[in-house]
Amino acid sequence: MKLEDFGMDTITLAGPIEAKLEAMREAGFTQVMLSARDLVDHPNGEKAAIEAVRRSGLRVTGLQVLRDFEGLSGPLHSYKVDVAKSMLQLARDVGAPLVLACSSTSAHATGNFDAQVADLRKLAMLAVPMGLRIAYEALSWGRVVDDLAAAWARVQAADRSNLGVAIDSFHMLARETPLGVLEELNPEKLFFVQLSDFMWSAPATPEERRETARHARVFPGEGAHSDTLSDMIRAIDALGYEGDISFEVFNDDYVQMPLPVVAQRARRSVQWITDHVSRRSLPVRRRVAG
Amino acid sequence: MDQENLPVPSNPLGLQAVEFIEYTTREPLALGALLQQFGFMPVARHRSREVMLYRQGPMNIIVDADPASVRESTRADAPAIAAVAFRVRDAAFAHRRALELGAWDMPTRAAAMELNIPGIHGVGDSLIYFVERHEGLTIYDVDFIPIAASDPAPPALAGLHWFGLVQAVQSDRAADWIDFYRTLLGFEPLRRGQYFGVLPKGTLLASPDGGFYFQLVEPPPGADFVEWNETLLRVGLGAPDVMAAVRALQARGIVFVDREPVRPSDKGALTQIYLGGFCVELVVSATPTPALRVAS
Repeated sequence: MKLEDFGMDTITLAGPIEAKLEAMREAGFTQVMLSARDLVDHPNGEKAAIEAVRRSGLRVTGLQVLRDFEGLSGPLHSYKVDVAKSMLQLARDVGAPLVLACSSTSAHATGNFDAQVADLRKLAMLAVPMGLRIAYEALSWGRVVDDLAAAWARVQAADRSNLGVAIDSFHMLARETPLGVLEELNPEKLFFVQLSDFMWSAPATPEERRETARHARVFPGEGAHSDTLSDMIRAIDALGYEGDISFEVFNDDYVQMPLPVVAQRARRSVQWITDHVSRRSLPVRRRVAG
Repeated sequence: MDQENLPVPSNPLGLQAVEFIEYTTREPLALGALLQQFGFMPVARHRSREVMLYRQGPMNIIVDADPASVRESTRADAPAIAAVAFRVRDAAFAHRRALELGAWDMPTRAAAMELNIPGIHGVGDSLIYFVERHEGLTIYDVDFIPIAASDPAPPALAGLHWFGLVQAVQSDRAADWIDFYRTLLGFEPLRRGQYFGVLPKGTLLASPDGGFYFQLVEPPPGADFVEWNETLLRVGLGAPDVMAAVRALQARGIVFVDREPVRPSDKGALTQIYLGGFCVELVVSATPTPALRVAS
């Protein structure tokens, strides 16, 4: 693993998008995971935000996040399809190759497996003409799909080329998910990895997990689960994963600190990871043609 | 997953054939003259818009020069394949089903036809229409006025008929488009290595009745510098005797690329590029029987 494999989520930093992008670039990052809110919040509208992303020269990792898509019916489903379409268009406009969709927390959604699979297929189909991939992520407080195995089961059943899973280390740590689940994955279907840690033991309830996830994440190397996290990253690396890795660190303290200070913490986290998990940092032995 | 396990009936839409292919262009006279060289004759003009219907044997081409349509096209300087219309058993059903499965509804643009033909987004800016054909009445009867003294059923040159469409896809995107055409239209990929014509590359998908193909072509390796937009590149016309068709078209002034690997042969041929982006591929293919073409 090397610096080019890593990026930051815009949600980790305070301020206008131009300042976020500049702080990331100054810290040496070459890619950015965008939050749709960061784009549409721009005082001059989302077109100005898209222009700022283009000017930054940072590669767009993806766009987040589509919530509560699967399992709805009737008007709720139609409404959510419209929301999804809008997000897919935004992703295309900003040059994002991937949209992150997280598992439903809605009490109005069915837990029926087949219905969820059909909806994920529909989402993947909507993404085809837009040239996008969908990465489906299990929230650890998801109502039905609340761990990686459940997300993978649905992605596998949907069997769509542009639909894969995303791993968010927070949810694995928060649920104390055994790493054996990674061995069940088809590595080609792992589309995206988000990394973070937190500073206390695994929260007991979904509500506590959500609170921690939204306010108290830290960068890898800063938290209470460094050993488990480095095992997890090593396991992901061992799968042969060569996709993007982004730091998704929601932290109430970080959004009131100067941006370069937080970006430097992210930069140090890359160093921590490459020190602990170094397979990909080894020089690749090129096969000599002939 | 085995194909047999997919819960997709072999021909869920009753899809039979291509009803028409639509081009947009800023230069309808130039494209019309070129189509006539290819054997397509003008048979009708639109009642209110700058849209013409050309016909040859079983093939209909709509040339749409309506300013609203042309503006929508990103390749506006060259003629662009703007739509393909498939004849299906029940157009409303086909449309509804496609939307339920995640197709994008046709954008609210000025379509070539005023008749309410349902459609969905295809690749790039193109559309896919669903059309029904009823006894004694065609979709053209509503929107078009026949051109006086023209043959409403001009015969095909050398047995030419629709064979397929060639579509550019981005690297590693062929599988996504296979999902698209398989799910929405019931097309199935042919096994790797099964090709027709002079350009054996990419992925071929066959319509449920085997009468029409999409060929998905990814950029060649190492072509990072080439601009490669996902779009419909060209039509393929079937010819029972390719060399006879080549000679018939050459006699009308059409020029074929005459160098390997696409030199005209019994398998196929490729015309030069006209008008900055229009070319046609010939592929050896037996003429479909009339019974198949007009079955409803």
